[in-house]
Amino acid sequence: MSLSNGAILPATLASGTVKKVIEINKFLLGTMAGGAADCQYWETYLGIQCRLHELRNRERISVAAASKYLSNLVYSYKGMGLSMGTMICGWDKTGPALFYVDSDGTRLKGDLFSVGSGSTFAYGVLDQGYHWDLSDEDAQELGRRSIYAAGHRDAFSGNTINLYHVREAGWEFIGNYDVTKMHYDGPGDVPGAPVGGYGYDVRIKTV
Amino acid sequence: MDHHPTNWGRPRDDRVDPYGTFPIHARPRPKEDAFGDAVKHTQQPIVTGSSVIGLKYKDGVMLAADNLASYGSLARYKDVQRLHPVGTSTILGAGGDMSDFQYIQHTLDSLIIEEFTYDDGNKLGPTEIYQYLSRIMYNRRSKMNPLWNSLVVGGIKSDGESFLGYVDLLGTTYQSPTIATGFGSYIAQPLLRNAVDEHPEPLTEEEALSIIQKCMKTLFYRDARSLNKYQVAKVTAEGVTISDPIEAPTVWGFAEGIRGYGAQTQ
Amino acid sequence: MPHQERRFNPYTENGGTILAIAGEDFTVIAGDTRQSEGYNIQTRYAPKVFRLTDKAVLAVNGFAADGNMFVQKVQQRLEWYAHAHNKPMPLKAIARLIQTMLYAKRFFPYYVYNILGGIEEDGSGAVYSFDPVGSYEREACRAAGAAQSLVQPFLDNQIYFKNQLPPPGGAHPRHLPLNDVLSLVIDSFTGATERHIEVGDGLEIYIVLAPNKSSVELERLPGVKRIQGTFDIAGDASPDVTAAAAAVGVTGEKMFVMRRELKKD
Repeated sequence: MSLSNGAILPATLASGTVKKVIEINKFLLGTMAGGAADCQYWETYLGIQCRLHELRNRERISVAAASKYLSNLVYSYKGMGLSMGTMICGWDKTGPALFYVDSDGTRLKGDLFSVGSGSTFAYGVLDQGYHWDLSDEDAQELGRRSIYAAGHRDAFSGNTINLYHVREAGWEFIGNYDVTKMHYDGPGDVPGAPVGGYGYDVRIKTV
Repeated sequence: MDHHPTNWGRPRDDRVDPYGTFPIHARPRPKEDAFGDAVKHTQQPIVTGSSVIGLKYKDGVMLAADNLASYGSLARYKDVQRLHPVGTSTILGAGGDMSDFQYIQHTLDSLIIEEFTYDDGNKLGPTEIYQYLSRIMYNRRSKMNPLWNSLVVGGIKSDGESFLGYVDLLGTTYQSPTIATGFGSYIAQPLLRNAVDEHPEPLTEEEALSIIQKCMKTLFYRDARSLNKYQVAKVTAEGVTISDPIEAPTVWGFAEGIRGYGAQTQ
Repeated sequence: MPHQERRFNPYTENGGTILAIAGEDFTVIAGDTRQSEGYNIQTRYAPKVFRLTDKAVLAVNGFAADGNMFVQKVQQRLEWYAHAHNKPMPLKAIARLIQTMLYAKRFFPYYVYNILGGIEEDGSGAVYSFDPVGSYEREACRAAGAAQSLVQPFLDNQIYFKNQLPPPGGAHPRHLPLNDVLSLVIDSFTGATERHIEVGDGLEIYIVLAPNKSSVELERLPGVKRIQGTFDIAGDASPDVTAAAAAVGVTGEKMFVMRRELKKD
């Protein structure tokens, strides 16, 4: 999801530890949902094409162009069984940009997306807490809290959360958070986060 | 440059797609063969052979296979040799489709002749034949057009060690001191393993032959696609020998009193 | 009866289990040696772990025919690389190579789980695990194959200390010593042999040591054999290639195999 002052990209980890956020280059991130190999391979491949664009045109590729390259590519394989639901996220001349691209060939521009089996749970939290003028800290916390919700309620999401923040200078890795720890103890001493756990403490009213 | 991985290492076909503009799956191909559409892969085995068994013993390896080629449940051909010598130190035994086996025999014979024409003193041993066969079988399965066989390769390597290996229609391979294919993997393999594992010393030729005979007899008792006529091949330092057809002595008198075995009385 | 088409199935499963653990300055890669199909044991000795270079070992598990063919193709690519660049391919590059080779067959995959282990260029132990179509990541430990569901939780507990509390006032160790890791590997396989019918017969453990790691202790263990190698994967590199390797200083890693019996029932 993207915000006025940046874009936040949180994602959970599937095989336990597989990195679901793929660092395409210093300004572009891609998320992984669906076929792990399909996402990993083609987003790496996209990184190569983005670098070639830079070399040929003496400027960085826009997020729109990068995401469109990917959507055109997967469209050429349509019907052959690729499975990718991905968000391409970055910062270019136009500011923060976020695109949803999937293996059907769908490509959508937006301010807010959630993809994958736990996406509905994440949307629930995301939608109630989102507004355009979120501060950096609050945006990070909303991302963290949303993926926690997915990790908590979706059987196929969980383990740990990786949180990235995209700003003008490129993306920054904020941290890795254990979902179980977040439930009982919270994400730790993190700006924007409440004291105590997201789940347990709330329920037994210790906070 | 065509970056699509499905085309890596393949020349681009400028005749039909000079600019690489087609989606991969819709890329037009020039017609290679007027009857291309009529090519049907993946048949099924028609005339089939049953088990092949083999074991290593003191002086080399011994293989056996019966002389039956079945047509479904019909015992169609009763004088088929399923053991084939390859070169001077290898024996090949085959189960499964007999026409595919004939193709394999032909291919290997051609290979041996070609190797002979080099006249460089090099001889293909069992390991080479085994590797060659595994490539043929794997490549055919990868084209979804398998050679429908289970093959056993036995022989003596150039260093004097004996060799026994298995290759099948999927390209699956393995080596083992005893091998039995098809129904033989249920009936003969336990007998063979028992004979080899329980024996402190390597088996002598007499012991090996006796266990092979026991296996072939047991197979005949229980494998409905088997025949009481089989051949035994051995490879030793002296070379390859294939026996004349052997008949196992069987006893059926016990069946008389058993319901469901002999002729039904009531 | 309606006509039903019997389609040729180009795959089968051949059982067995593989596993790799990375230490601070070593990696162990292990696999059992049983090959089976259904309830049939095809052979009691079919290697699933292969040396690629002086500092890289690949374990393959799944459909044996695909596995063997894939290893041969990787070895061929590494040989080409060694001849072209006059040095062995670094581990992380082998990992990426394996990804592209697996993904090249995305629409008719190698039905194989790969685990690559070895020593990274910075001297650290490393394990890379792959899915059949090439998704991969670097990890500290990984089990794959028939008994993955038995072995991986054990490793999670013993290597990552999952569900274990650290000692009061202390913390869990980040890396385990080689002896502990070897014990865990052997225990993993004896345990899997006990409870999984497709695991057993023999255990083959490859141990790769970083350049400055002493092998004295290891060589005292029973059944350990040093693998003398040059970086040339063919194992018969020409002397000049070997000498060239030594000249650039690409020697030093030591590789060992340790063989153990497992129950055969």
